[in-house]
Amino acid sequence: MSTDATTPREPVLSLSSRTVVYGAVGAALYAVLGLFSFLIPGTQAVQVRPAFALVPFFGKRFGVIAGLFTGLVGNAIIDLISGYGLTYWNWSVANGLVGALAGLLFAYLPPIANEALRLVVTALGALLATAVGLLFVFTDIWVQGIDVTTVISINYLPALISDAIAVVILVPALDAIWEPLSKRTGR
Amino acid sequence: MDVTPRYLGAGSFLSRRDPRVLLLVPVLYIVAVAGVDDLRVVLACTAVALAYYRAAGIPWRGVRANWAFMLTLTTLLVLANSILTSAVSAQAGPGEQVLFNAPITHSPVTWTTLSYAATVLVRYVSLALVSFPVAFNIAPSDLGVAFARLGLSQRLAYGVDLTFRFLPSTAASLRETVDAQRIRGYEHSRSRNPVRRLLSLRPVVVPLTVNALIDAEDTVNAMDLRGFGGRHRTWMRDLAFDRTDLLILAGFSAVAAVMVTAKILGLTGEVWVP
Repeated sequence: MSTDATTPREPVLSLSSRTVVYGAVGAALYAVLGLFSFLIPGTQAVQVRPAFALVPFFGKRFGVIAGLFTGLVGNAIIDLISGYGLTYWNWSVANGLVGALAGLLFAYLPPIANEALRLVVTALGALLATAVGLLFVFTDIWVQGIDVTTVISINYLPALISDAIAVVILVPALDAIWEPLSKRTGR
Repeated sequence: MDVTPRYLGAGSFLSRRDPRVLLLVPVLYIVAVAGVDDLRVVLACTAVALAYYRAAGIPWRGVRANWAFMLTLTTLLVLANSILTSAVSAQAGPGEQVLFNAPITHSPVTWTTLSYAATVLVRYVSLALVSFPVAFNIAPSDLGVAFARLGLSQRLAYGVDLTFRFLPSTAASLRETVDAQRIRGYEHSRSRNPVRRLLSLRPVVVPLTVNALIDAEDTVNAMDLRGFGGRHRTWMRDLAFDRTDLLILAGFSAVAAVMVTAKILGLTGEVWVP
């Protein structure tokens, strides 16, 4: 199956009604599904949040702004619903950066005709965006005064491992379903 | 399933403030306390944060679980940071008395280590004190206009509003999807294998997402037909700072300015040892 789904149809940073609505839909989905998570057995704090996969997916499919919005606002709303306000604001920014980076990355990747290869590239690209975007949690060193070793071992690596599992499994699954639908609806 | 923020501080002093005040105060407070290692200074800032939190009128019964979770998480983080890693021990002066060695890493624990651990813990708590009112004292419908008045793009600010409007319908759609899949024999995996559990969620996550995206097209068309984004947007809710709002902002700005100056002069960078 040939595809041109990764070809950008609008400027990378365009802010149209479509971007706003898809960003809002992504954030609402992330907020609702984000309330479900489960622990990885044998760990104390590594929680897999399946909804995180929506962040790079929206970045890839609907652009940088929609991805940024989905991650930033979605995570902030999860914190609001959970009652933490802006205490962990830098994690919301990190989530937003994952979506923005996914949008940026896939906007400049050439179209891939082979579907299996496209899904593998989608998984790897989403994983890369996750690994880079989550680096923003290192701001805890400045904000909270905690040590770099702690940030890596308690914050960054557990978040990366759990989000990577969700991203690698769910982003290609969502992308595979959305690809034919996007063609049918002309997007 | 409750997917809307709880508005617990209704009628309180902070709930009567312009929502922009509640959004700006945590920002100013972070600027004030970030990088401060002196426990006495952080405690002084915490007293200000506590007074602010009390003005929010958030009932303790409603937020006990939030505080319990937050304090547990923070204590674990501080223990790992200050006791189990050796970074803070390095700040101890030569010849400082070692109280005991931490388990596992055998890092020496001194008064400096304990003081720094307390500083980090108190700072986390004080940040929560100024952040909780954002969750419990701002009506969700005010967030869009508040961000717009703070200078965020009108379109993105409307997007924040739109997200809150989508929350109930998305939650309802999730319930419908789960019910529909159960009729087809879907049962959520109880496996301890995280990969298997994630795979078992696909029949819920995928249709829910695709349905939401297809429905979004109607919203896009409706907004385009009404000329969304064509010119400056007006909002039903009119926001204006009153004198009290300005005094609160001026007070927190002054605290931030004093603390930044103290940091530049190197007055708050040393760990205080009693």
